[in-house]
Amino acid sequence: MLPIVSITLFLPLLGALLVMTLRKAPVQVVHAIGIVTSGLTLIGVVRMWSRGVNETGFAQLEQLDWMPSIGAAYRVGVDGISLPLVLLTALLFFVTFIYSAKVRKQSHAFVALMLLLETASIGVFTALDAILFYVFFEVSLVAMYFMIAEWGHEDRQRAALMFFIYTFLGSLPLLLAILGLYLGSDPHTFDMRDWISNPPLNGTAAMLALIAMLITFAVKTPVFPFHTWLPAAHVQAPAAGSVILAGVMLKFGTYGLVRFAFQMTPDAFRDAGIVILVFGVVAALYGAFAALAQSDLKRLVAYTSVNHMGYIIIGVAIAALATDPAIRATALDGSVLQMVSHGLVTGALFLLVGMLQDRANTREMDQFGGLLNVIPILGWSFVLAAFASLGLPGLAHFPAEFQIFLATLQVEPVAVIAILGIVITAGLYLRAIGKVFLGEPREKWTNMADLNVREVLALSPLLILIVVVGVVPAWVLDVIHKTTAALQF
Amino acid sequence: MERDLALIIPEIIVLLTGVIALVAEMLRLPRIALTVTVIGLLLATGMTLPLLGADTSIFGGTFRIDMLSVWAKLILLPATVLSVLLARTELGGSDREGTVYSLVCFVTLGSLVLAGAGDSMLLVLGILLSGLGSFALVAYPRNDSATEAAMKFFVFAAVTGAIMIFGLSYWFGGTGSTLLSDLSRLEEKPVVAAVGLIAVIVGLGYKASLVPFHFWAPDAYEGAPVSIAAYLSVVPKIGAILALTQVVRDLPMSTGWPLVIAVVSVITMTYGYLAALVQDNVVRLLAYSSVAQAGYFLIGIVAVGASPLAFTSIIVFSAAYAAMNLGAFAVVMHAGRTLDVFSGIGRKNIAIGVAMVVFLLSLAGIPPLAGFVGKFLLFGASIEAGFTWLAVIAILNSVLSLAVYLRIIVPMYQQPIITASGSAPIPLVKWVLGITFTFTLGIGLAAQVLLGRLA
Repeated sequence: MLPIVSITLFLPLLGALLVMTLRKAPVQVVHAIGIVTSGLTLIGVVRMWSRGVNETGFAQLEQLDWMPSIGAAYRVGVDGISLPLVLLTALLFFVTFIYSAKVRKQSHAFVALMLLLETASIGVFTALDAILFYVFFEVSLVAMYFMIAEWGHEDRQRAALMFFIYTFLGSLPLLLAILGLYLGSDPHTFDMRDWISNPPLNGTAAMLALIAMLITFAVKTPVFPFHTWLPAAHVQAPAAGSVILAGVMLKFGTYGLVRFAFQMTPDAFRDAGIVILVFGVVAALYGAFAALAQSDLKRLVAYTSVNHMGYIIIGVAIAALATDPAIRATALDGSVLQMVSHGLVTGALFLLVGMLQDRANTREMDQFGGLLNVIPILGWSFVLAAFASLGLPGLAHFPAEFQIFLATLQVEPVAVIAILGIVITAGLYLRAIGKVFLGEPREKWTNMADLNVREVLALSPLLILIVVVGVVPAWVLDVIHKTTAALQF
Repeated sequence: MERDLALIIPEIIVLLTGVIALVAEMLRLPRIALTVTVIGLLLATGMTLPLLGADTSIFGGTFRIDMLSVWAKLILLPATVLSVLLARTELGGSDREGTVYSLVCFVTLGSLVLAGAGDSMLLVLGILLSGLGSFALVAYPRNDSATEAAMKFFVFAAVTGAIMIFGLSYWFGGTGSTLLSDLSRLEEKPVVAAVGLIAVIVGLGYKASLVPFHFWAPDAYEGAPVSIAAYLSVVPKIGAILALTQVVRDLPMSTGWPLVIAVVSVITMTYGYLAALVQDNVVRLLAYSSVAQAGYFLIGIVAVGASPLAFTSIIVFSAAYAAMNLGAFAVVMHAGRTLDVFSGIGRKNIAIGVAMVVFLLSLAGIPPLAGFVGKFLLFGASIEAGFTWLAVIAILNSVLSLAVYLRIIVPMYQQPIITASGSAPIPLVKWVLGITFTFTLGIGLAAQVLLGRLA
């Protein structure tokens, strides 16, 4: 059997090395390498998808000795929680490469970094060894730092620095937790499967490890009050960086929450369930209100991410509090699907805002008006993505949020107050659409060009999937459910 | 006796190498001195390989041939070769060039004596041997700043050395022996043990530039040629750290030494990074960074006797530190000493830029680089030894360290302030960069090669 997971994982890295060796290659060739490599990676992931996941545990395992003396190994594999995220990652990178084919500034370095980032991102979701996971987790940080610092907007240096130091600080508690879990396991190992099937810590030690992990993933997700780096980083990041940051890297936080916190310290997680739930509710509401106050489109989308991530936290907390396995599975199904939906929808929104900014050099809502008539393709795409983001039935977020709230109602009905967030996001998106796309077109924008072929190509996979996931979510949910239904907790 | 001599063949080779290099210099043959030094040091490294796995002591227990001292040779001798290559680039053709190679051999020998010390007199000998050569090396340029730096260095060394000898006399009085292995007799004599311990921390702490005995380091590094600063920040420091490890492994736990070392560790790394944060001179910045890194070494020492990871972590981190620190200094030697000259250097010369980023991120402990593996093992050792709080503080310091190293990385990719030389480094520096880069990456990715031999 072909080690398809490893091939998919390291293909982008090979592409990056290829780009670095072809220093004299013309820009078009470099971008072509980026698109082709990420396309091949996507094909690899589709192959992984067709191989599927197991009822219990992880599937498609591949392992190699790495540091046997300390029990660390190269171990990769997928389950129903990680496989959809891997697919999302590969897809988002593919469309981002298409969209970014216009980048002319240091394009060699850009493509190489993006490919490195792709390997790191897929690695985070497929790693089954804690050291390996941490390595990918940190490498993604470094790559994203350079991405923002080099290709960002006006105040990029400061934002990049803040992003790097903030999330680096955030990731270090995880290192402590990993060491704690390692020393607690017997025999000492970094095998995440062992930690999941046989949680190594209990009592106070487990609670401390959980707190450490929660800090890390709360910064990454981000959860109020650890979110302050996010708007700064998003506003300054290039559109490609924003898509990856929101679409893929925020999922590191929620994925880690499930994979590490939820699965490796289950008892402590159950004890802390209510607190985590409160954080989720606060994040969801805070994100919605903060988004309401924004006039910058990119900041607006960034804050709605805080809101959407809040629902995921709620879902996971509810899953921990639920006593009925069926409800637990529903809550987790919703949470994981929400990660996928958010990636698709927010990815599309950031691409659209980026395209708008390419044309107008501004993202201030008040500067626009009546654009729906001037640039109908961009306009209607934005309307579709915005409706998806506010949770309209038939679009990607609905089945996810529906399941989360369904489970919430059965376990902790008070938490349904977070549904208020949906009302607010509905309001703010309608307001944004009204300001930017409806009304009388302004004089200065009348010559604005609509989307070109490259942009349509970049955008359409996301928009199509938003509808597909919204209308027939079963093909994703089946994969997720296979794992969540059999989850030991 | 013959067996004993056979076990210190590497040390003997280093000694002879230093002597021959000196003779060659007296004959005004600096190239010969260089060749002899490089070959001699490599030969000594090769002769160390058969000793891997040995765990014994010679000359009545005064010198130890164990994991620490063998690995000290395997790490410090190649590091010395790299330093010598850097020195050749920087000082080649200058007057008295050959003396540098000779002195470097003697300092390395002193560091090796420290790393294998089994007797308090060998501690003194090692400190003196490595110290005397170091002063001369710092003063080599013979200008005002170098002379001042060497003077400070010398006075500091004299005072701390005297304190150490004074304290060691307490241990001698308490145990009736100068052997470190007899320190277990101090179980019932806490005051004697404490006085000696503090004196040893002062004496070795100066050599390893632990806070508050670090004052000489930034000045000495700044005054000395960059290649010498690189050398001093690696070889004598690691020697002193290993000597401290040799001391504490025999010291009774009841004296509470782990806590003392832990406190020194926290002060050292925190102060080192805070001070590095405000430096504009890259050599001084790296000097303070190397002070802070010494604090990380101490984390491993704290765990000696309580965690099987302790020795492993110290050795792995030594190797990692030697590679990444020498690499970073090599880039500074190529680029220049001020932060301004680093602006835009990453755009001008991609290879140098990537190498420097890798060295600095490794120093900050970012995976999958060597520094990460080293620090990870250190943290693991300290947690296993029950010093979780120490690991927490060390981890918080890692954030501070990132801020420090980003002060160099950030301008590297900005528009140049002054037009730095976009020239490619000369071949010798390229070699050094290539080797240190390979090891910085290699120890990170293939740590098992080291770990397997340490188990």
